[in-house]
Amino acid sequence: MWWKILTGLLISIVVITIFLMPPPQKELGEVSRIFFFHVPVAWVTVLAFLFAMINSILYLSKKDPRYDIQAAVSSKLGFLFAILATLSGAIFAKSAWGSYWNWDPRETSIFILLLIYGAYLALRSAIEAEDRKANLSAVYSILAFITVPFLVFVVPRVFQSLHPADSVINSRIKIQIPFPVLSIFLCSLLGFSLLFIWIYKLEVKIILLDKKKHS
Amino acid sequence: MSANFGVMIVVLIIWLGLFVYLLRLDKKVKELEKK
Repeated sequence: MWWKILTGLLISIVVITIFLMPPPQKELGEVSRIFFFHVPVAWVTVLAFLFAMINSILYLSKKDPRYDIQAAVSSKLGFLFAILATLSGAIFAKSAWGSYWNWDPRETSIFILLLIYGAYLALRSAIEAEDRKANLSAVYSILAFITVPFLVFVVPRVFQSLHPADSVINSRIKIQIPFPVLSIFLCSLLGFSLLFIWIYKLEVKIILLDKKKHS
Repeated sequence: MSANFGVMIVVLIIWLGLFVYLLRLDKKVKELEKK
């Protein structure tokens, strides 16, 4: 229970401080406050897809349907958080670059990621036989995750991008944001990660209860 | 009241609403699990 209260406290503190402190980047102005939402949400997207891949591997090795449910819930939440990251990025893009969508490498890579995981959800809804659905989804989820580090970390660094690069850690792996901003950012990162785990656990429990009721 | 303060209040109300909803849902799920 304590970590749920901690989630509530952390995100409340983040909401209060980001609107009361000066914008983290003076050149970008007010819109730079979105950094405290956009980056943690993008981080949770990667975390959720990683959870999905781990659960898929566990399903294929142990054949326990619980892992299949966990993988499906992780992918669904990852997809939701990817949409939030895309929307918050588009709001930033409109203010910083003058247009909501520029087909920038970072925008293109998250768009491809949304298509890949959208296809995963479509695949799950297209197959009725439980075993077949679980097996195919698990294999797809593992293959899909291989693209995640490439699309999230490699593509935006290989191609020239409008997206602010190395905004937290620079190329010499050194933290380059001032301590007050860093502490709020870390609170936000932890708060959103805990929020994801909370919703994930709740949804898995609800699906298991529903299955138990109908069996 | 500055514009930022107003936005902060709105975001905080939305977040606290979601938080209370999650707490209540959590409690309900625990009750159902016990049954």
